[in-house]
Amino acid sequence: MKKIKKIAFWFLVLFLLILVCMPGIWIFISAFRPNPEILAKPANWIPDRWTIYEFTQMFSISGYVSVPAFKYLMNSVIISSVSTVIAITIGMMGGYAFARYNFKGKNKIFLGLMLARAVPGISLSLPLFILFAKIGIINTSFGVIIVYVAMNVPFTIWLTDGFFRQIPKEMSEVARTDGCTRLQAFWNVELPLAGPGIGAAAIFAFLLSWNEYALASVLTRTVHSKTLPIGMMDYLDEFTINWAGMCAIAVVMIVPAVILTFIVQKHLVSGLTFGGVKG
Amino acid sequence: MANVDLKNLTKKYGEVIAVQNMDLSIPHNEFLVLVGPSGCGKSTTLRMIAGLEEITSGEIYIGDQLVNEKDPKDRNVSMVFQNYALYPHMTVEENLGFSLKIAKVDKNEIETRVKEAVQILGLEELQKRKPSQLSGGQRQRVAMGRAIVRRPDAFLFDEPLSNLDAKLRTQMRTEIKKLHQKLKTTIIYVTHDQVEAMTLADRIIIMKDGYIEQIGSPIEVFNKPVNVFVATFIGSPPMNILTCDIISKDQKVKIKIDNEIYLDCPENFKDLFNNKSKVYLGIRAEDLKPVEKNTIDNNDWFFSKEIDLAEPLGTETQLFFHLNGKEIISRMYNPYPVSIGDKINFQIDTSKIHFFDIDTEKTLF
Repeated sequence: MKKIKKIAFWFLVLFLLILVCMPGIWIFISAFRPNPEILAKPANWIPDRWTIYEFTQMFSISGYVSVPAFKYLMNSVIISSVSTVIAITIGMMGGYAFARYNFKGKNKIFLGLMLARAVPGISLSLPLFILFAKIGIINTSFGVIIVYVAMNVPFTIWLTDGFFRQIPKEMSEVARTDGCTRLQAFWNVELPLAGPGIGAAAIFAFLLSWNEYALASVLTRTVHSKTLPIGMMDYLDEFTINWAGMCAIAVVMIVPAVILTFIVQKHLVSGLTFGGVKG
Repeated sequence: MANVDLKNLTKKYGEVIAVQNMDLSIPHNEFLVLVGPSGCGKSTTLRMIAGLEEITSGEIYIGDQLVNEKDPKDRNVSMVFQNYALYPHMTVEENLGFSLKIAKVDKNEIETRVKEAVQILGLEELQKRKPSQLSGGQRQRVAMGRAIVRRPDAFLFDEPLSNLDAKLRTQMRTEIKKLHQKLKTTIIYVTHDQVEAMTLADRIIIMKDGYIEQIGSPIEVFNKPVNVFVATFIGSPPMNILTCDIISKDQKVKIKIDNEIYLDCPENFKDLFNNKSKVYLGIRAEDLKPVEKNTIDNNDWFFSKEIDLAEPLGTETQLFFHLNGKEIISRMYNPYPVSIGDKINFQIDTSKIHFFDIDTEKTLF
């Protein structure tokens, strides 16, 4: 009886897992089969013919480039990583300041940052477009990076503030009586302890930039600055949609993000275990 | 060699006064204990000496050097915190050597000094462990080791034993005392536990509301408290304080401690009671001796009273009764069986009683 219950339980888990993963699985399957098979009715779950045609097309192994996916990938990588590094650096300093120092208007500034986060990005797209066009940074990676940094900083400040708050302030105090300057105490003691939290904030910031569509669709116009989510639209013609190509580029988009998350998640989980103070 | 001097030290948080005009000179090698209830300013004082708290006014000297403007790192003092504050990402060894590494001390030198501290504190087995793998007592020892390794001019302890259980606390208390004898350095120690203060200190400072109430050796503050606060704060159980009427009649002065219990005023106090009708009387529980027979000499007080409660503690029995509506505790050192409602004879050596002014609460000498 117990065994049957257990098996039933695992079947339920499996069913829910498949349910959740279905769209992802469908994208993966569709990336490796020709368009007609994707559109087949009733749905063809196991492809009759596997192909990497779309991948060879977009990465131009065959010499013919349908969509310059490699260029889009590079744009995405550069824009996402640079904006993440900048956002996390500023966010870390801001979060530390909010967690450790008292200054005038602290709560109001913090509230202001959070409210800035509440503004829907799309509502800023037109003003940003006009502004960027005027100062000549429309359709550049630089422009997109600025927007993503602005978008991510309040968020990273909020996250890292929480992580720094969890570290007892005695940690930095004891380091300072141990001969550290405030900066050394931060670097040697508080930063390593907040590391997992900062890593988490960085991942969130990276994924936010990596997946962002609304603003990038307005601010990027050509291959020069288009990111992967925008590049995906290249498969949308006036009368047809190349589903296979779109799924293939989606795979190109998903894989690095998943790999990155896998690499860092171990540190995220193992992170905040404090033995230094009596808990 | 380093003495620590505080001159007119004041700390205010906005309008709230944490420490007020504190003057204090701590000679080299003294074990000084700051004791008082929470919020009395003792920890603030310690943190100002460490440089972790800015001072509002006044001066702090460590070894004849004015350190007001100096960073904590340049004051050469080591602090041990209540919650240990060990670096959780470093092993015991790394925790101990951290301050030397920051000071860019030679590697071999670091090793020798860490080894030395490890031996002093008996941490040999634990060197490679992380703080999370240590027990409370071990963590406390590592925290002390980290302070020792620096060879500071002064050690600052901020309630270091408060997080330990009772048994371990007693054990660590002894270790700290031994450590002081071994290291011969100035120690400033903050606690709210008067037993710790009494057992550890060369000199005790009792603080209240940012002011120093009394400074003296443990025996001094115990035997000669300057006011009611010190009298009740130092000693366990706290000193019994009674409001008494003074009755002068025919050149004789009597003290009424309860309905129909009148006692003769000791000769040496008579003059102090001029024009006073009420006074606080302080008697320590151990000076209120239950006796089986009236064996008094002339100077002793003697009275009988029914007890409300008896608590046997093994070595002694604590008797509770009421005088003038106030609960009084007496310690019986040679316990014999008593039961509630028994009328017990009490004897008081009048050389051991204290009188306090009813208005100022200061001791009447």
